[in-house]
Amino acid sequence: MSALALEQVTVELGGRAVVDGVSLAVEPGEWVTLIGPNGAGKTTLLRAVAGLVGHGGRITLDGQGLSQLGRREVARRVAVVPQVPLMPTGMTVHEYVLLGRTPYVSYLGRESRRDVTAAGQALARLDLGDLAGRQLGTLSGGERQRAVLARALAQEASLLLLDEPTSALDAGRQQEALELIDALRLDAGLTVLAAMHDLTLAGQYASRLLLLSNARIVAQGAPAEVLTEPLIAEHYGARVRVLDGLAVVPVRPL
Amino acid sequence: MSRLFLGLLVALLVALSAASGSPAAAPQRVISLSPTATESLFAIGAGKQVVAVDDQSDYPKQAPRTTLSGFTPNVEAIAGYRPDLVVVSYDPNGLVATLRGLGIRVVVQDAAKTLDEAYAQIRQLGSLTGHAKQAGALVAKMRKRIWELVSAGTQRARGLTVYHELGPDLYSVTSNTFIGKVYGLFGLKNIADAADTGGTGYPKLSAEYVVSESPDIVVLADIACCGQSPRTVAARPGWRSVAAVRTGTIVRIDDSIASRWGPRIVNFVRAVAAALAHIRK
Amino acid sequence: MSGRLWVVGAAAFLAAALLTGALVGPVHIGLGAALESVGARLPFLHIDTPLTQTQESILWDIRLPRVVLGALVGAMLAVAGASYQGVFRNPLADPYLLGVAAGAGLGATIALVYLPNGVDFQKVLPPAAFLGGAVAVAAAYAIGRSAGRGSGGATLVLAGVTVASFFTAVQTFVQQQHSDTLQQVYAWILGRLPSSGWTDVKILLPYAAVATAGILLHRRLLDVLSVGDEEAASLGVNVGRVRLVVVLCATVGTAAAVAVSGLIGFVGIIVPHAIRLVAGPSYRLLLPLSVLFGAGFLVLADVIARTALSPAELPIGVVTAFFGAPFFAVVLRTSRRMASL
Repeated sequence: MSALALEQVTVELGGRAVVDGVSLAVEPGEWVTLIGPNGAGKTTLLRAVAGLVGHGGRITLDGQGLSQLGRREVARRVAVVPQVPLMPTGMTVHEYVLLGRTPYVSYLGRESRRDVTAAGQALARLDLGDLAGRQLGTLSGGERQRAVLARALAQEASLLLLDEPTSALDAGRQQEALELIDALRLDAGLTVLAAMHDLTLAGQYASRLLLLSNARIVAQGAPAEVLTEPLIAEHYGARVRVLDGLAVVPVRPL
Repeated sequence: MSRLFLGLLVALLVALSAASGSPAAAPQRVISLSPTATESLFAIGAGKQVVAVDDQSDYPKQAPRTTLSGFTPNVEAIAGYRPDLVVVSYDPNGLVATLRGLGIRVVVQDAAKTLDEAYAQIRQLGSLTGHAKQAGALVAKMRKRIWELVSAGTQRARGLTVYHELGPDLYSVTSNTFIGKVYGLFGLKNIADAADTGGTGYPKLSAEYVVSESPDIVVLADIACCGQSPRTVAARPGWRSVAAVRTGTIVRIDDSIASRWGPRIVNFVRAVAAALAHIRK
Repeated sequence: MSGRLWVVGAAAFLAAALLTGALVGPVHIGLGAALESVGARLPFLHIDTPLTQTQESILWDIRLPRVVLGALVGAMLAVAGASYQGVFRNPLADPYLLGVAAGAGLGATIALVYLPNGVDFQKVLPPAAFLGGAVAVAAAYAIGRSAGRGSGGATLVLAGVTVASFFTAVQTFVQQQHSDTLQQVYAWILGRLPSSGWTDVKILLPYAAVATAGILLHRRLLDVLSVGDEEAASLGVNVGRVRLVVVLCATVGTAAAVAVSGLIGFVGIIVPHAIRLVAGPSYRLLLPLSVLFGAGFLVLADVIARTALSPAELPIGVVTAFFGAPFFAVVLRTSRRMASL
């Protein structure tokens, strides 16, 4: 049974189909990355999986229909790391990570000891123990990224949705973040569905790539199968050379 | 021949003097935008010369009330009546200058601060409208009546205190105001005087102050506007112990009588005198 | 400083404010005498009150109800303001945001203007103001919803501004048509804590208690909302429902407070911001502290209103505004902490 399965999923926004008849399956523990040009529908697809936007077609999590699950139940299974998380500058790292326990705290209740422990474990795993009392506004870009990941980890969700997890980071921090996510995936048995711009990085960390263009999946498979010069030229309109089946290098027109 | 000439001269002089005081020179289309002036105009017999009065002029009933406003006046509407005299108590937005610019005669009679000023305004209206004699007679009557009421009342008023209420939020008037001076005529002590540290003349008193001062007379000028009455006053928490409530000396004054400075001042003075008679019974 | 310590401190501040309020006034009543008077009312002690009948009356029928009312109104306005700031993620939100003030003002004006003869003003104003406030907020909500979802609180705020402008315009028009009521309306608008005994306290208490409880119960959720509607939803929060419940509680409580005391401004902004500056932005602490400090603040403001021109009084709205303006200047300068909203 797939951790996540989409059958003919369609999302309409403003009268237009932003995601059109997409079907895909992600196995437990897999890392699948969505690639595609701007406006292809990647972010919208992730939002649909998180239950944040209505959809046509069927989405199932571990075999259960998304529409049948309540909001809180979905939040216990799916953690979202947005592209630009809103981080209240006055909140401490500890409070922020504790927010990840929200799906487990009763409506008008308080966090339990279990919740506090889970948050503490997430902080430790992401090496944020020393920063726990610091305010979010005082952290560097890399530290904030770790804080968001810690929050997602605290959610104890089995499916992690990442929307452009590296776009705000420098080369070193990008690698760090992706290595961290991969390590978490292996440690905690997470399933990862990410949307990424950087084609090389996308190819390095995913076991499968899905190329989304104009609301549809136009190619899927191992990175070497999807990262081909003709496909990239056709859908991105970019001239590239693909080296070793993995490194995508832009080529300047003469 | 010289006798005829003398006779003609005398006749001419008589005719001239008669013409200067003749009713033909008096305005026939008067507009009053001041409720006080309206009352005065009708009281001196100039009512027939009044063609329009403002929306607040509710006395006397036969005054030709219109929708003209003394607070937010519409110059065109005023001019539309082709007035030859406009009386106002207040000059918002350069109304007076505008009307005069249109060649209309305007007289400003703002709120009188003393009884003498009030009398002077009545006399002025009298001479403007050709009823100088009636105005003089009215003023004399008012003076006499007030004097009678005050002399009878001063003895009784000795040592008594008064609280005049403008609103249920306990806004009051001090002796520095027109109304306040009437109380002063009787020699009544006004509890608002000690409270007016701001010098506005219209302080807002605190309930505990009024209760602790326990005024002998309470005058309510907030009956029509705010539904106050001797009953509501007695029901106020803590007011049971106030002297005026205990003796039932709570005077009701028509809101408009208390806020104007025209002929009905006498009614106000009479009401105060009656309250004094009631206490000293 | 830990949260618990702050709450204890705030409670102490409130107690001190209440005591000050009870003892200060144009009529002098000393601490000892006041305590004996309280003791006289307790069932098992056999203490006689040393006060005269007038003084007893002043203490129990005029001063104490006023102090208690001040505490209730202050608490309600402060916590409502803080909760609006949380729900709309807008530091300038105050309890009058959705048009409650304009609606209540219009209700009060209409009641004053069309008051049937012989009916007591004090009895008619509160329900009229409450109704006006409720209608205004309902209208803001209806307009906000019809404009479509997805923009979170911003649409609702704009709808509130629209409704407020409209109601204010109507109120001004009615006032102009009946200029003789100007003084009463203006007096009401400036806000005041009426000396009408325990009646107003009894009227306000149930609304304020329920509304405040409702808001306090949602304080954890308001912290969750601070990461934005989308992220909060992804954490399993029904953002629309939380917003509705909190806004409803805050608005009903504010409408009731306004109905009784007129438009006392600045409390809903000054108090939450001042608390943020020293105790941090977390709603879990901010909301309970707003209740306590808001109550104390207004009681003290009322003491000033009663004593500055004693024995005359200042409208309390003037006192709060007087402190509000310089306060904003201070807040703007300490923008470092402001950014933490």
